[in-house]
Amino acid sequence: MNLTTYSTDPAGLQAFYEAIISAHDTYAPVEKFGKFDFTRVDSLSTCNTDSPIPKTMSVKPLFFPKSAKVMKYKATSEGTELTDTEEDPLAGKRVVLGVRHCDARSLQVLDAVYKWDYVDTDYGKRRENTILISTRCNEASTHCFCTSLDYDVEQLDAFDVAVINGLDEKVYLQARTEKGETFLKENATGLAVANGSAQEEMKKQFEKFASSFRLKMDYTEINEKMQGQFDSPEFEDVSSNCVSCNTCAFVCPTCHCFKISDEKLRDEGVRYKSYDSCNNVYFTLMAGGHNPRPVKYRRWRQRAMHKFVYYKERFGVNLCIGCGKCTTSCPVNISIFEVVNKVAK
Amino acid sequence: MEQLLVPMICTVEKIIQETPDVRTYRLKFRDESLAEKFDWFPGQFVEFSLLGSGECTFCIASSATRKGTFDCSIKRAGIVTADIHRDLDEGDVVGIRGPYGNWFPLEDLKGKNLLFVGGGIGLAPLRSLIQYAIDNRNDYADFTILYGARTSADLCYKEEIDEWKNNKSLKVILTIDKPEDTWKENVGVVPKILEEVVNPIVENTKVITCGPPIMIKYTLMSLDKLGFDPKDVVTTLEMKMQCGLGKCGRCNIGSTYVCKDGPVFTYEDLSKLPDEF
Amino acid sequence: MNYTKQIQDIAGRLFSEEKIDVFIGYRNTGFDENQVPVLINQYKDVDQLLFTDKSVFNLANYLKYEHTRNKRVGLVVKGCDSRALNLMLTENQVKREKLFIVGIACEGVVDETGGKAQNCVECVMPDAVVFDEMLGTPSGKRDYQENSDIRALDGKSLTGRQEYFEEVFENCIRCNACRHSCPLCYCSNCCIDQETATLYHGANTTSSAFHALMTWSLHLAGRCVDCRNCEKACPSHLPLHLLHKQNEKVIYENFQEHLAGMIQDDRGAFYKYSLSDPDDFIM
Repeated sequence: MNLTTYSTDPAGLQAFYEAIISAHDTYAPVEKFGKFDFTRVDSLSTCNTDSPIPKTMSVKPLFFPKSAKVMKYKATSEGTELTDTEEDPLAGKRVVLGVRHCDARSLQVLDAVYKWDYVDTDYGKRRENTILISTRCNEASTHCFCTSLDYDVEQLDAFDVAVINGLDEKVYLQARTEKGETFLKENATGLAVANGSAQEEMKKQFEKFASSFRLKMDYTEINEKMQGQFDSPEFEDVSSNCVSCNTCAFVCPTCHCFKISDEKLRDEGVRYKSYDSCNNVYFTLMAGGHNPRPVKYRRWRQRAMHKFVYYKERFGVNLCIGCGKCTTSCPVNISIFEVVNKVAK
Repeated sequence: MEQLLVPMICTVEKIIQETPDVRTYRLKFRDESLAEKFDWFPGQFVEFSLLGSGECTFCIASSATRKGTFDCSIKRAGIVTADIHRDLDEGDVVGIRGPYGNWFPLEDLKGKNLLFVGGGIGLAPLRSLIQYAIDNRNDYADFTILYGARTSADLCYKEEIDEWKNNKSLKVILTIDKPEDTWKENVGVVPKILEEVVNPIVENTKVITCGPPIMIKYTLMSLDKLGFDPKDVVTTLEMKMQCGLGKCGRCNIGSTYVCKDGPVFTYEDLSKLPDEF
Repeated sequence: MNYTKQIQDIAGRLFSEEKIDVFIGYRNTGFDENQVPVLINQYKDVDQLLFTDKSVFNLANYLKYEHTRNKRVGLVVKGCDSRALNLMLTENQVKREKLFIVGIACEGVVDETGGKAQNCVECVMPDAVVFDEMLGTPSGKRDYQENSDIRALDGKSLTGRQEYFEEVFENCIRCNACRHSCPLCYCSNCCIDQETATLYHGANTTSSAFHALMTWSLHLAGRCVDCRNCEKACPSHLPLHLLHKQNEKVIYENFQEHLAGMIQDDRGAFYKYSLSDPDDFIM
């Protein structure tokens, strides 16, 4: 299939966004308390499709919300009935604007676990019904290292439509998937198909973007070296200033651990699936008191090893996409980049 | 909606008080069409939920060869299990998801001598296989059950054990840790009885063991001393689980998911895993 | 404000005289101008230490972890940090003789924008109130001033306030960073930690966030020292100081101008009863 690239200018891009917002269920970064969340928007003025990297939360909640209802139950004299909760609010057709490379890539990484063995159909449906449109990543932020983690800016097919800056105020809209191609055909009416020089201009933009990264590492080397580091004393050292909260996991676009919990009021109740984290001391605590990871460094080890060894062994990709969100959100600024590089020494 | 996590409704048909803190719940699907679809192998587990309280992981303690109902034996140990013991009565409903996980290597066991070594509530997963093997008795050679508990009151499935004892084709050896006045069988911890009383033949024998961690540790040492190959020792592992589907991320040991790749492992498999269980 | 050299010297001296097992200070992240708390175990690492107006995190928080329990600890405290430490001492969480406290006469730390942090502008006690060695020139206690955000909030209608806080709780992801970053939240089995919480049952819903944060803030009423560790830790940037400052205000006005942790062995507003308490809120 041929994937088309369209060309426009900043004003044309704004008009394109506006047209999308008026025609589709659209999600985009909206500022709340100084940080940006992907929220449903009704007009372009309420959101920022180029929200700053360190202040933007991931798109994960649109696919894996912080708390989702599993079912409701009600006990009556006739017996207990399970009722389906209201329709999945995230399952409808929708478009997401302002998605970063790292965010989009994280969804590809998550697909592996959700489609493994028992297929999570709800997640699948949310994925299938969503069109991801990228933001323009021009420059890496302090803690970004996505280019070090096995992904190709130029070819990234994790989003359906890539929005790329060109020279002379030009903006390119490039379909990256068939879904994106069809979407652009239907929605990019009025935009010109880019000419031959587009490819060259985009390449320049990618090169400029790639050269703005300060953090670089060779992930294959990290994978290899970390494999033998299960007993490394470094884990104790790098985790000593961790405060054991769950922030890194909750903001991480690829962390997917959850817990199931019930809320009950007399004879009725709701069961929820909510975020959980391996940093939590209760995470592996069993009834009766046994805990395979009773101390902080063991929980940190699980986190680091899961990201760079276990997931790779199991699913062939790293469970880290180098977005730096954990580092920016960490109460004490612990950097996962620094941690794995120290451990893999 | 999270389709994968929605349980099926079962009714508690019978509650059997096994020991002061263990009860067996005999469950039946309320919707009979589900009962037919629900098939399991010995060693698999279910997610058992007391609605409003939470979900817990329990092995199925009975065999699918005895259809219609299935058993879960539950020890009062944590928050949800305490709620189950307190609130769940006969006729009440529970949520069940499953069956999940792998099962005992039934093909490998065919034609072999079976030696079951169980301790306390650890007999529950073995019971499923014992029932299965009794119902397919001709597939197996010698059949020995060694079962121990701290006191005679802590022995589970007492009635069924009597049945096993009366079954001429099985050998049942019971033990408790310390002597009691009315106790006429063995006294001593399981590994000691295993070496001194059972003294099993190693050749063509598969050992299936489950019990508290400390018992497992010393039993494995005894089996090693007796000359068993780690390949021939099968056990089932307990880990904190919530989803049972390989998604929620808490039961992994290294890249092995206990809920998917386990809970049944040979001792050889276990020795290759990182020491975090 | 830069006490890097002095702190390195003190830590070096304490290690070489074998007076401490671990020193808690700050180091550079190495990636940006932010700092990371660091726990140093040996003499050769002391040159990592530094102290500037970016040394924000309240280090007393580390006294509640296994790394420092039962060890001889040296640490750096600013005014607010030292008040938290004072409360930890009062509440028998740490032993004074196990600590070597480097007090700072603080000139205020900076916030994200580079300006002086709000709690530093409104600070009542910039100097460390408990210390073994003091760095800088103490400037003394200042007058209590009401938080400007609280004043603004008081101007809103009841429904306006309700809507505002509903949005706050809706944005909480229940990561518990606030509770884990608070030096005074030292309970190992916290009532808002989800697995043990029979009240909240763990789902990350708005109502559970409401219950958890309200309970949490009430447990800190009369104890919060306004170090804002919680607020800076919050990944959702929620204005958690509003909960604490409101409590602080009510307590200041009703309990003889009480401010938490100013003097050692002061058990706090909710720990003691005085006949002169107004009690007018009791029906």
